[in-house]
Amino acid sequence: MASTELAPGEVVAPPSRAAPPKIRREQIQRQYARLGWTFAAPALAVVGIVTIAPILFAIFMSFEKVNVTSAGFSFSGATLSNYHTMVTAGLWHHALWWTTLYTVVTVAVEMVIGTIFALVLERLTAGRGLMMALLLIPWSLITVISAELWSYIYNASYGILNGLWPNALGTPFSATVALMVADAWKTTPFVTIIVLAGLVMIPRELFEAAEVDGASGWKTFWRITLPLLRPTIGIAVLFRVLQAFGLFDLPYVLTNGGPGTSTQSLAILAYNTMFTNIDFGPGAAVAVSTAVIVVIMCLVFLRAFKQQVGSEEVPA
Amino acid sequence: MSMRFQHGWRRWVNIPTVGSVVIALFVLLPLYWMLASSFKSQGNVSASPPQLFPIPIATSSYNQAFSDGFGGFILNSFVVATCSTALVLTLGILAGYSLGRLPVRGKYPVMVSLLMISVFPTIAVVPSLYVAMRTIGWLNTYQALILPYTAFNLPFAIWILRNYFLGISRSMEESARIDGAGAVRTLVQIMVPQVTPGIFTAGVFTFTAAWTEFLMALSFDFGKKTIPVGIASFGAQFTVPYGAYFAASVLATVPIAALVIIFRKAVSSGLTAGSVKG
Repeated sequence: MASTELAPGEVVAPPSRAAPPKIRREQIQRQYARLGWTFAAPALAVVGIVTIAPILFAIFMSFEKVNVTSAGFSFSGATLSNYHTMVTAGLWHHALWWTTLYTVVTVAVEMVIGTIFALVLERLTAGRGLMMALLLIPWSLITVISAELWSYIYNASYGILNGLWPNALGTPFSATVALMVADAWKTTPFVTIIVLAGLVMIPRELFEAAEVDGASGWKTFWRITLPLLRPTIGIAVLFRVLQAFGLFDLPYVLTNGGPGTSTQSLAILAYNTMFTNIDFGPGAAVAVSTAVIVVIMCLVFLRAFKQQVGSEEVPA
Repeated sequence: MSMRFQHGWRRWVNIPTVGSVVIALFVLLPLYWMLASSFKSQGNVSASPPQLFPIPIATSSYNQAFSDGFGGFILNSFVVATCSTALVLTLGILAGYSLGRLPVRGKYPVMVSLLMISVFPTIAVVPSLYVAMRTIGWLNTYQALILPYTAFNLPFAIWILRNYFLGISRSMEESARIDGAGAVRTLVQIMVPQVTPGIFTAGVFTFTAAWTEFLMALSFDFGKKTIPVGIASFGAQFTVPYGAYFAASVLATVPIAALVIIFRKAVSSGLTAGSVKG
């Protein structure tokens, strides 16, 4: 960091002062650094105490025997049994596999539909503001409400989709697809907004040049639009994948993990282990495993992204 | 796109217009179904085949939602969301200013850690926070949600505000300093007014996140239910009171949808901050 960039006070020091300007500048610099930490400290303390510390404590808990009594929690000795329970019970394998499958399919579907929507809206000359306002409603909708709404739409005796798709939540496969449809409805607008923002950033001249060269619309899309959208799509995929992997609200309300435990996500498994079975050790183990997978995915993504886009696109 | 020569069926069908209608229907049909069902009588909500239009219009579901305690849920959500937003903005402005403009060492690792934290799954903090809150007796209190919501929304707020603070011209700040204004006064009187768009973005995002959050509200605050937990726990074991669900849903959706539509510029700049700024 160049000091010239960071010294807001340097102009104040006139050359006629008793102290040499350089020393004064350093003094002010130090004073501002101290002020900087004072200003940043409350926010960083809250974030540290409420997010970082609990994650570290969850790791500790996942390696402890956790006893829950009416008096509260106590810990009695290090153990690997929580992870042993988690891996051998079978539910974790299924939840991991199911959450991964769900994430991959929903994000892929949402990206494709969202990109198509964005391409349509980009060509819209009038009313784009209205469409944007419309797209924000599902984004801001409480997921629990969307889940109740879709459970009514799928209802086996009076749901409006009953004629087309009877008993949508009845089998594991059908229930998974039903969840994906509900998810795509709520989240595709988010993808559309992001992709549209990337789309309007592409210089118009490129499309005009392609048109002059006689390139077909299809060819223009694959050769110009898509490659230039790649950073935008990469960010959208990253956000969606990380969000989808922590999936809880939608299946908790819409299928309650059922039929049976077939649509139980990792977060639902962790929640039920803790609050239904009152098993906080294994519950913490499942929660930690989810977090570890998210961190690994995040690092892999960032690496792939850096390689693809090149360093000039990465924030300074 | 200007006068492109169109042939065949494309001459008769305007793709952007037709496509936009399809998109609008995609978004609106489920929302219409929610609105329509909220105005049906108890018997008509579960009519088979379903009634396409709520005729006659009945408001009994709205009465039922309130007699099931919906007024209290709104109050709880409002208190939690408002307090979280106020805290996020106060702490976020201080930190964003500091990390954007003051010579703080170790800025870069701090900013990257904040970015990582903002994508962490909520379930990772639920076990520890539950144990901690039960130990200090915070379960079923407002602060049990205000504090986590503040912490989870601060990283995004700090990032957004830092970017706005970085964009302010240096001369403004310097002239304030020459006039003898202290650091705090410079921040409040000169800097803050210039980052209002960032404040709106961070504020609307925090309020929306607090209004919609479910997992922590379900885990820590079952006695002081916010709207999502309240709606999810409506009804008895064998009856699903869809009418009351949808009446409550409409009432919970209207204010937040109005908020994001009024501040739609701030919202879309926040949504696209990641993709446009890198």
